[in-house]
Amino acid sequence: MTEPLLRAKMLTKHFVTPRTAQTVKAVNGVSFDMFAGKTVGMVGESGSGKSTVGRMVVRLLKPTQGSVAFRGQDISLLPDRAVRRLRVDLQMVFQDPWSALNPRMRVKRIIQEPLLLHSKLSSSERSDRAEEIARSVHLNTDLLTRFPGELSGGQLQRVCIARAIATNPALIVLDEPTSSLDLSVRAGILDLLQELRENTGAAMLFISHDLGTVRLVSDHILVLYLGHIIESGPMNKVFDEPAHPYTQTLLSAHLPADPHADLHRHLLDGEIPSPIDMPPGCPFSTRCPLVREDCRTALPPMVDIDDGAQRAACIRIPEGTNQVNC
Amino acid sequence: MTLLRVKDLHTHFISRNLDNEIRIATALNGVSFELSRGEVLGLVGETGAGKSLTAYSIMNLLKPPARVVGGTVEFDGRNLRDLQSDDMNSLRGSEIAMVVQNPRSSLDPLTRIGEQLVRVHTAHSDATAATARARAVEILGSVGIPAPEERMQAWPHELSGGMAQRVLIAMALMNEPKLIIADEPTTGLDVTVQAQILDLLRELVETRNVAVMIITHDLGIVAHYCQRMAVMFAGRIVETGNVNSVFDNPAHPYTRTLIDATPERLRDLKHKVHGGGAPPNLYNLPTGCHYVERCRFADDVCNDPVAMEEVGAAHFAMCSHISAVRDGWLS
Repeated sequence: MTEPLLRAKMLTKHFVTPRTAQTVKAVNGVSFDMFAGKTVGMVGESGSGKSTVGRMVVRLLKPTQGSVAFRGQDISLLPDRAVRRLRVDLQMVFQDPWSALNPRMRVKRIIQEPLLLHSKLSSSERSDRAEEIARSVHLNTDLLTRFPGELSGGQLQRVCIARAIATNPALIVLDEPTSSLDLSVRAGILDLLQELRENTGAAMLFISHDLGTVRLVSDHILVLYLGHIIESGPMNKVFDEPAHPYTQTLLSAHLPADPHADLHRHLLDGEIPSPIDMPPGCPFSTRCPLVREDCRTALPPMVDIDDGAQRAACIRIPEGTNQVNC
Repeated sequence: MTLLRVKDLHTHFISRNLDNEIRIATALNGVSFELSRGEVLGLVGETGAGKSLTAYSIMNLLKPPARVVGGTVEFDGRNLRDLQSDDMNSLRGSEIAMVVQNPRSSLDPLTRIGEQLVRVHTAHSDATAATARARAVEILGSVGIPAPEERMQAWPHELSGGMAQRVLIAMALMNEPKLIIADEPTTGLDVTVQAQILDLLRELVETRNVAVMIITHDLGIVAHYCQRMAVMFAGRIVETGNVNSVFDNPAHPYTRTLIDATPERLRDLKHKVHGGGAPPNLYNLPTGCHYVERCRFADDVCNDPVAMEEVGAAHFAMCSHISAVRDGWLS
């Protein structure tokens, strides 16, 4: 097996609320690997810690505990100055393109900015490179002289992606890159991401709560619940044979855009508990339809399913009684 | 029985530019549809197509520079456009209720939710505060809020997104409405919560025989919760019909693009999705079909006015090249 490009190990992030001084346990011991040219899809409800993990991966946040090894080097404890040099290789695309771009910079300057910081290109080389990148994200070069306010949502998201790939990064974190876009525009962006992955060989962490989209772009899936990875595995395995009861119910709640698709829904009651007041034992035990007494005592470990490519954290899996009636 | 009949609705944004010339954005250009009790209609389309504007025009909630300039809205035998604002006020929130997209910002942050529910009821009936209270508790329970009696005392900020959306639906139900307009009722909610809210809406349709219009851009919701759908583009309904019929046999090129762009289809699809692009300029719409600039089947005929054409049982589309689109879509 090849060395992973990035290895996150027992990542943990706790925030302390101001005034009341409560601890928000946003991420609790998350471990996963990312490989060049592969896309990892991270799904989960809001409040499950998806974005926090994404931000720790590119070191926009410092983990409370755990490590992020990028090309074998632990970047979680590096001083900020040293991290800045790593930004060449670690880039991020944010959810809302309207607020992610400086409204007073022209598009060309936005795309050039990372080159200015991270390369020794002359200004004319930068300008050529910006045009080249704009073409590679299928952005009309006439738009380079415009301001973000003059562009549509899909065009803005292309600018954000162009900016992220300007330095040829090895890894890109995409935090809900398509959820604010219309359907037909979204399809174009997904096409573009696929193309970039083939051309640049960058590893991608695709964060989304839209299961349909995640399924379309990912090679590997991580399912997060209350800051724990409760299931991980190859995309097809997780979508076709979800093992954890939460993954099963999450997938069953998805509405495919096809009136003839059979829905085998098993709906959950209630909502994700607060990360301030974590349930003891399995984080899903408060909503799980298959819960039993020993679920509430200890955190279930990740267990291998079949050959170990797919793993899930449920104590019922070894007994084979983990299927929810969907 | 038809409850709501919207006919040829036109809404314009009328303003002046810096040279003091009148500028008109033709946002709705002849929207027509019908809705019966016990029916769920899905209104889909991209941002700016006029979905929400249709709802606001029906409810007569437009603010200048937007103005309804033509058409009729017939609700339960009355033309809403002829009503005085007092009469319209008494209709709104009682016979027609609206559930909006962002539940947190539509609740008064300084009033406990129980009080807000009671106010909605007492404003439209002679009920005493006590009976209104009892009703509020009952409705809160029926929309699936645990411990409704205690929840009456809750402040809006104490509710999660899903709970706030339930409170909003409860508020809509306080006066037994005949029509509920739900504008993106589940956008921003998680899939598990989304399913709970949509099931609740469906149950209301079945048990209370209300009519529901769901405005959404999620075709999954339309496919599984609506009986009929209407696809909007640039202020016009370009295709309408039963959900199965439209999904199986989309006639308008825009509808096809929309369905092709869903993740489920993208996975099976070999060809690329055609037709993403900027919405047309509402200040200067094409004379014929509004989709002409993004359509790969467009020719000179498309600049002539187009009309709705029947393409199947109770299935209509507004396109001059329906058979060409059907045969040539994949080429």
